[in-house]
Amino acid sequence: MIKISSKNIDVFYGKKQALFNINLDIEENQVTALIGPSGCGKSTFLRCLNRMNDVIDICRVKGQIMINDFDINDKSCDVVRLREKIGMVFQKPNPFPKTIYENISYGPTIHGMAQSKNEMDEIVETSLKKAALWEEVQDRLHEPGTGLSGGQQQRLCIARAISVKPEVILMDEPCSALDPIATAQIEELIDELKKDHTIIIVTHSMAQAARVSQNTGFFHLGELIEHGSTDKIFKNPENKKTQDYITGRFG
Amino acid sequence: MTEAPHTVKSYEEELKNLNSNIIKMGGFCEKSLGNAIQAITTRNSDNAESVIKDDEKIDKFETLIEQQVVNLIALRQPMAIDLRETVTALKISSDLERIGDLAKNISKRTLLLNENLPKNLVDAIIRVSSDVQKQLKSILDAYLERSSAMAINVWESDEQIDDLTNFCMQEVIKYLKENEKNLSDGTHLLFVTKNIERIGDHTTNIAEQVYYLVKGEYLEGDRPKGTEPIVTGEK
Repeated sequence: MIKISSKNIDVFYGKKQALFNINLDIEENQVTALIGPSGCGKSTFLRCLNRMNDVIDICRVKGQIMINDFDINDKSCDVVRLREKIGMVFQKPNPFPKTIYENISYGPTIHGMAQSKNEMDEIVETSLKKAALWEEVQDRLHEPGTGLSGGQQQRLCIARAISVKPEVILMDEPCSALDPIATAQIEELIDELKKDHTIIIVTHSMAQAARVSQNTGFFHLGELIEHGSTDKIFKNPENKKTQDYITGRFG
Repeated sequence: MTEAPHTVKSYEEELKNLNSNIIKMGGFCEKSLGNAIQAITTRNSDNAESVIKDDEKIDKFETLIEQQVVNLIALRQPMAIDLRETVTALKISSDLERIGDLAKNISKRTLLLNENLPKNLVDAIIRVSSDVQKQLKSILDAYLERSSAMAINVWESDEQIDDLTNFCMQEVIKYLKENEKNLSDGTHLLFVTKNIERIGDHTTNIAEQVYYLVKGEYLEGDRPKGTEPIVTGEK
């Protein structure tokens, strides 16, 4: 089932066009990987999906992005609510300079999701468990989140993202600052999370895209060159540019 | 389709090297099969001996190719066409190795046969083997040229080889029935015929691999088959 449908997306940074007529459907409860060389527009596209480009003054987005049959670029769209539904995890772990507990409770508090401390405790515990971090931090919930290791901080950010029960999680190179063990833990987590969430991950690691995703989109110079099942893209891509990129024949 | 070179030159070299080893190994198999057929049809023991000796070279190629494939997978993680190159090299080398073994077996039997074989049997062997030799050459060319059309041609020609094999088998059976003294030679000749047919089957396997290599898809449908084999009962 299609969760997100983007139609004719053009993005401009001032006069420079960064994305050209992107039409991409994202399937529900699957992991979609976006790959492509630096500057190809994959992160720009990702940021369109929760209107993160709004914060860049010179950025203009044209086209339609339908999520649950609702155009998120419509004037009536409440961006705060949108970002509750569509969480994001960034390249560098960016926990708030607060305790582990507060990192998780921050979002649910803003969105009024807990009526009592017990309810909030439960949200914190569930989120940390879903992010596979509970075992490691349950005894130090009131210590600063910034005191955790890089991999733990990233899982804390994932826990923070899932605490508000988003339908979609956007991940922008979530493992690029992590060692292979922490990376494997995040990848395992992505596999688990897709049962309840739709995940879109931007990654420079083709091996990671191959490992974690069911669908892959290849971007080049602002265009979506090819999109299809990950299996097909990595074994027998249809477009020569895709093949040249994934086999290391570019440039 | 000619591919652009890889950015990493050493990776490009490793793939080229793998490719050239398949070609060399195929060349050795062609030579061995040619010598084995020459040996049995002209009763040339020297040729038969050289086939038996050369099999070792073919076996070594298989080991070398296997090592190269494992290294490529472990160290380069090939994708798309490179992945298909790597995986098909492994499978093709295994078929070529079997072709080498079968040629060797024909030669071993050649050394055990009587000097004078009836002309009709020799002719029947020449007919089926010359088709198989052509198949082997064609499929190695198809691999070299990355031609799926040539691969399909080879794949489809297997039917004719099956028919010629059956004809050859019938001739040998007649020969066996003629005289009890023909039992030993006739039995060897049945195996020789079957070995030639098996070599044809391996070229068909390679054709399937070449098709997959080029197209990224498997050849669909049942393999073309000739008339039912009369001796083995195999399908």
